[in-house]
Amino acid sequence: MNFEALLVAVLTFGCLFSVLTLSLNLQYARGGMINFGTVAYFAVGAYAYAIVTQEPPSGLDQYLIGLNGPWWLGFLVAGAGAAGFAILTGWPTLRLRGEYLALTTFAFAEVLHSFLLNERGIGNGSVGLANVERPGISWADVPDSYVFAAAALLLMLATIIVYRRILASPYGRAMDAVRDDEMAAEAVGKDVARMRFEVFVISAVPIGFAGALYAMITTLVSPDLFTAEVTFFVWIALVLGGERTMLGAVLGTIVLVTFQEVVRGIPFETVRSAQIAASVEHMLTGAIFVIILRWQIFERISIARSQPA
Amino acid sequence: MSLLAQYFVTGIATGSFLILATIGFSLTRQVEGFLNIAHAELLGVSAFITWGLNVLAGWPLLPSAAVAIVVTSVFGLVIARAVYDPIKKLGPAVLLITSVGVAYVIGGGVDAVVGTGIRTLDIPLATTYKFYGLRITNYQLMVIALAALTAVTLALFLNKTSTGLAIRAVAANPELAASRGVDVRKTSRATWLISSGLAGLAGVMLAMIATLSTDIAFHQILKILAVAILAGLGSLYSVILSGLIVGVAMDMSVYWIPAGYRPLIAFAIVIIVLLFRPQGLSGRKAA
Repeated sequence: MNFEALLVAVLTFGCLFSVLTLSLNLQYARGGMINFGTVAYFAVGAYAYAIVTQEPPSGLDQYLIGLNGPWWLGFLVAGAGAAGFAILTGWPTLRLRGEYLALTTFAFAEVLHSFLLNERGIGNGSVGLANVERPGISWADVPDSYVFAAAALLLMLATIIVYRRILASPYGRAMDAVRDDEMAAEAVGKDVARMRFEVFVISAVPIGFAGALYAMITTLVSPDLFTAEVTFFVWIALVLGGERTMLGAVLGTIVLVTFQEVVRGIPFETVRSAQIAASVEHMLTGAIFVIILRWQIFERISIARSQPA
Repeated sequence: MSLLAQYFVTGIATGSFLILATIGFSLTRQVEGFLNIAHAELLGVSAFITWGLNVLAGWPLLPSAAVAIVVTSVFGLVIARAVYDPIKKLGPAVLLITSVGVAYVIGGGVDAVVGTGIRTLDIPLATTYKFYGLRITNYQLMVIALAALTAVTLALFLNKTSTGLAIRAVAANPELAASRGVDVRKTSRATWLISSGLAGLAGVMLAMIATLSTDIAFHQILKILAVAILAGLGSLYSVILSGLIVGVAMDMSVYWIPAGYRPLIAFAIVIIVLLFRPQGLSGRKAA
């Protein structure tokens, strides 16, 4: 395995998925919302970018719209699209709590997946859209993969800065108040339902941007890339890093991505052994996840730290 | 018109399977108080044990199925004791998320052992019967009969036996049940055995009526959730009605909309029910 390539891949996808984990962290740890449909906002971003930038359909293409727009327009539309989808799905569902919210968001993500798969007019159905346009940024001799790693890092840093600003503002303190004691927050005049909705929509925007970047990197969008697996991946990363802090969310994601990339990088002699490795990777991921929740590792660390030595 | 009636009949069989798959899930929800996403993976475990014994070891179907159900049942109890019981105090949301991890472990395990590809049991081909121009296979009839039998047995068990009454008492109010001398731990174990055993039975049915691939379990959880939510989480008798509704709705929808949208019907039901009637068919107030 080429160590350098591994490092770049880890950096790129680690930062990219960190954006999702950070948004989930905001929704769950700060807003108290269990979103089991994270992948939907990611998919909306990726498809929005592809549709805005691709050329009008020709030949065997079955999609209907291709605007042939510039990449930055696609990127912006991706964020707006994700926010739009968050408004569409959040408005009716956010009055639901806990597991009911989890199930509805999950169901919305599956509905979207089903539409992307069956409505060929959106993005060629199960075939997907290949050759998604990449922005023509090239510096002298820097390879594309480095540029995208830097872009992912930038997007992650921007997300962290924006979320930090929000959380440090009076608005952020109001959010914490709602999370800690909803009744008390309501009693001092905070519109709890509205805040939950706003947090939900705001945190969908970076997910949309990440989707656009993902489409640029893979140059392919297809329903296969956007399954519930992505949602669970992000959840596992969040739990892995501890849901309390942003740094934890990022570290959890990077550890999980590294683990996956390393397993994928191992050369296998047969298809069967590669398949076993993939399944074992699945099992280990699940097992780590269960163990962390089982022994509440991060709770203990934070309790140990808060107690004076 | 007769095509529509045919879809209706097939829908009844699909619905009966969904009832079998969902009853255990709802029982867990009622007694343990959380959504066990890993329930569907138990269907997969049972289906592949049946397949392994029947096809690889050459056993006849019945003993293979019996072993599969017992093993799955014990397996479910072991998972519950090892994973869910210690974190029960952390609340249903953590349990729900944990069960996703458990589903990963089981799914990955089945994948690693069985491998990819499509498999079928070594059983005679289905015989088709015709009534008034409507076709139904003997396996479909068996699923319907077993669903009915299971529902009746479970109802008798929950109403007539002391363990069954204890289960209902714990489901209604664990503290009160404990204070009246019900052994809550023993009841919880019995619940896990029964619900996992029901998942095992549903898994055997799945192996008989469908071709098996390792991702089959994940597709079941989507439908199980739909049925459980339509019934009202945690209610058992309305599972029978809602299982039939979801099954028939899914199969009959093919008459009007492309077949690719068949799974979507289940999710449309989830969204509509949660938005307009979160308590489900049972009418019991949702927690």
